[in-house]
Amino acid sequence: MNGRASTATRMGFREQLRRPLLLVLLVAVPLLFISWSFAITEATPRLITLPGGEQLLTTMRELHGAVMVPITVGFLAGLIGLFVIRSALESDRRLVLAGYSPGEAILPRIAVLVSATLVVLAVSLAVTAIDFIPASWGPFVAGNLLAGLIYGAIGALAGASIGRLGGAYLMFFLPMLDIGVAQNPMFFDGSPPGWATALPGYGPTRVIIDGAFSQSFGAIGPLVVALLWLLGLSLAVLVLLRRSLGGH
Amino acid sequence: MSAIAVSGADFLREHLRARLTLVMLIAIPALFVIASASVLGEFAAALGGSVGGDSASALGAGWAAAFLAGALGFFQVASSREADRRLALAGMGAARVAVARISASIALGLLISTVAFLTLQLSAGVAHPAHAFAAILIFALIYVGIGTLVGSFVSGALEGSLTVAFIFLIDAFSGPGMSGSGGVAQLMPTRKAADVLIAAGAGRGSPASDWIAVALTTLGALLLAAAAFWLSARPRST
Repeated sequence: MNGRASTATRMGFREQLRRPLLLVLLVAVPLLFISWSFAITEATPRLITLPGGEQLLTTMRELHGAVMVPITVGFLAGLIGLFVIRSALESDRRLVLAGYSPGEAILPRIAVLVSATLVVLAVSLAVTAIDFIPASWGPFVAGNLLAGLIYGAIGALAGASIGRLGGAYLMFFLPMLDIGVAQNPMFFDGSPPGWATALPGYGPTRVIIDGAFSQSFGAIGPLVVALLWLLGLSLAVLVLLRRSLGGH
Repeated sequence: MSAIAVSGADFLREHLRARLTLVMLIAIPALFVIASASVLGEFAAALGGSVGGDSASALGAGWAAAFLAGALGFFQVASSREADRRLALAGMGAARVAVARISASIALGLLISTVAFLTLQLSAGVAHPAHAFAAILIFALIYVGIGTLVGSFVSGALEGSLTVAFIFLIDAFSGPGMSGSGGVAQLMPTRKAADVLIAAGAGRGSPASDWIAVALTTLGALLLAAAAFWLSARPRST
């Protein structure tokens, strides 16, 4: 990272640190959503199908707590992506006019988005660990990180293509409908219905469910799907931002 | 009065100028009602609640209208704070700007509620449609008030959106038929509206006391929002 890009990155982080309410909410929202989900859900038995095809008897309480992590991370990362990119579009064009390359202007925004996602992820995992220990931390963490990055990219795309208001409406509901309803093993027959596999939350949520309840990793297919979603969305964000900032 | 009407219509036009925003306002409540209809009963049971069947579907329509109305109430205020102050200073006065802004939000809330209600009626059918529509509209109006209130005090779009979402999720999770039945749950803003909506979904009417409580809550939320907006938009001596 050259001097100009590192200065812009430092300024980007300083801008976020000047917003104390945002920092409080980034901690308070996961804390409340996840711990409350554990607290209010009954431990009724629930049969689910793991990505490897094996069936497992767990409880609604554990499922709700485990699934609330990607819902929260996806929801927060999506909104952060939306507003970070809106802010970039409003002010970074001036940086490009002043001599920055589009890449030097984009990199700090991506760094802020990824860092905020990591903060939300760390808080969410710490809160989850109070009530629930996944069978395998690695896939559980990786799945949640993928959910956050995918929804961060979707939020960024929404911000760049449909505007702040339409994007906010979309990001309020999409993670809840996708991860909270379509992918949620609390509903349907304990595994997502066929149409849900076409949604961006499918890969990450299956990896999370595998990590939460299985000690052997059986979600290679969903992991590949999630990585492809992330790659495609990241490329789309970069292309859209370069175009918006006057790159070629 | 005409200044309020003209400004209100302009604020409405401003909000709907982007066609995709209008598409979102129509598509999102419809999709949410359809998607949640089949799962809300199971979700309520997992939380130890008793709401199910058509009542759960009806509650989903109320939630969709509320969440979206909260967001639009917030953005109506937060996205035009400086312009509204100038409008107030230019002679319209903070009170009339507040009435015009909130009227525009109420009109949009009516649109969202109508979409949510029609989707509910077409997908699940409602045994008591008039009560169901009134209750869904009340969900939206209460959240127009909450969104406006948040927008009057919180300037950042991200912080404001998260605050509205925070309030909404506490309200929804602790509502009747879900986890809450007593204590703090009784104080939640859509508590009585949810009682009325659940009853309408099950084909029952609601007692007059519930309607009075719902009307007072709605009026209180809108008046509080108008007062907060007036406070934030009024001219200040320097």
